[in-house]
Amino acid sequence: MAPPPVLALALPSETGRVLSIQSHTVQGYVGNKSAVFPLQLLGYDVDPINSVQFSNHTGYIGSVSFLNTVLKVVDKLRSINPGLTYVCDPVLGDEGKLYVPQEMVSVYREKVVPVASMLTPNQFEAEKLTGFRIVSEQDGREACNILHAAGPSKVVITSINIDGNLLLIGSHQKEKGTGDLMTALLLGWSNKYPDNLDKAAELSVSSLQALLVRTVNDYTRAGHDCQSSSLEIRLIQSQDDIRNPEITYKSEIYN
Amino acid sequence: MAPPPVLALALPSETGRVLSIQSHTVQGYVGNKSAVFPLQLLGYDVDPINSVQFSNHTGYPTFKGQVLNGDQLWDLIEGLEANSLLYYTHLLTGYIGSVSFLNTVLKVVDKLRSINPGLTYVLGDEGKLYVPRKWYRISGEETDLVVVVPVASMLTPNQFEAEKLTGFRIVSEQDGREACNILHAAGPSKVVITSINIDGNLLLIGSHQKEKGQPPAQFRISIPKIPAYFTGTGDLMTALLLGWSNKYPDNLDKAAELSVSSLQALLVRTVNDYTRAGHDCQSSSLEIRLIQSQDDIRNPEITYKAEIYN
Repeated sequence: MAPPPVLALALPSETGRVLSIQSHTVQGYVGNKSAVFPLQLLGYDVDPINSVQFSNHTGYIGSVSFLNTVLKVVDKLRSINPGLTYVCDPVLGDEGKLYVPQEMVSVYREKVVPVASMLTPNQFEAEKLTGFRIVSEQDGREACNILHAAGPSKVVITSINIDGNLLLIGSHQKEKGTGDLMTALLLGWSNKYPDNLDKAAELSVSSLQALLVRTVNDYTRAGHDCQSSSLEIRLIQSQDDIRNPEITYKSEIYN
Repeated sequence: MAPPPVLALALPSETGRVLSIQSHTVQGYVGNKSAVFPLQLLGYDVDPINSVQFSNHTGYPTFKGQVLNGDQLWDLIEGLEANSLLYYTHLLTGYIGSVSFLNTVLKVVDKLRSINPGLTYVLGDEGKLYVPRKWYRISGEETDLVVVVPVASMLTPNQFEAEKLTGFRIVSEQDGREACNILHAAGPSKVVITSINIDGNLLLIGSHQKEKGQPPAQFRISIPKIPAYFTGTGDLMTALLLGWSNKYPDNLDKAAELSVSSLQALLVRTVNDYTRAGHDCQSSSLEIRLIQSQDDIRNPEITYKAEIYN
């Protein structure tokens, strides 16, 4: 008897089904070689698309054309599953050095970051994407807030060098609306200070931070466990901080 | 401070270092998708060369993707050689899609053996049953396969392939054992005919010729017939046989027991999962539950025993 038509039924995975678009090296553990196996061990079905196939690792090669196609892929996948989580590692460089063409920085910043659900930049990439230097933990946290405002609700800056110590800083924006709020603040202040984006950013960030601190304090005082669920921001209660923020975060201008 | 020069020191693997030249499908578990993960679970460092990158396997109505030709395969080998990264304990190949590619694979065998004369070359399932006609015509000539067999250390044909290679029909266990003898004479010291249909029963027949000129040690394992069709099981079986036969080099029967037990557990889980999801398992080919069966691959419970032939 001839076998029935081959129609492999792809059963949903109880853990998840991941499309992983990364490089493949025959030898070595980078890109998909380093990502796929661990995910499989954690129970995920992983479908790898190998962006390149090289003998071994030599560095990164990126192109605007590929990145633009990745954006199309995100759209296409979300048209089929609107709940898709896009985890983006914005590979730009490391330790002060850009690996990829300069044009890719703005493509990441303007087009890719806004559609990412989670971003995992290193310190250099976080600086490139936010436009400011990270020299302290506070800076790191601020960078996360800026990135949240741009799109992803989860940001992990995977390694920050502060005074010889290495840190990872993670940030999960559970509060709904702060992304939109940040954008609105930036719009409002940058219009008032059209030639000083740094000042507009300081005001916006200071406002937002005050609001977030108030939100957490209010919920905590009310006996609520702030980690247990998404908090509704105390927007109305923070109007003075929005109208007239005390600048608590300063920009450092790059020369 | 600048990072040190990139010089990945390839540490020897305690289990083995496998170069696996097979197809890659984005979705589905065939070729390298079906072979690499199990070998990694068994502790092997696996370096995959993807001979193709297709969206899905070729048994679907359509597929899209790219194909590696012989020159591109050799480029990768040269890239590895330039970095002194060509020491492998095992070479694994499956479906070979063109004469050009096949000839390059033979060059690869030679090259790897010049660096490690003890290299084990495992030649697996050709997967011809699932190949569209145009590929079959290119590599369907028996002569192509006959050229590769002599340099193989272990061969894992299914019944169809064993018949094509030896030129005669296998209708009894004796025929199966005879086919193994003929294949030993052509080269490989280990032969496992992974599934033979004899009077409605499924059998695996394994054969290990421990010394040239001596009669081989042969065994069989009875396998239950599962009323369903799967893709990728041949590639998976070959990978499991490679993995376990390297851990039990003098006991091919034990390696086969472990491989069959793993595979059967996976197939049963696959059928159960699809059934529970309301699918009729006879209506189409099922995608194997490879990820979900990883414990059965790492640590199989031996449920199928080898019976040694005298």
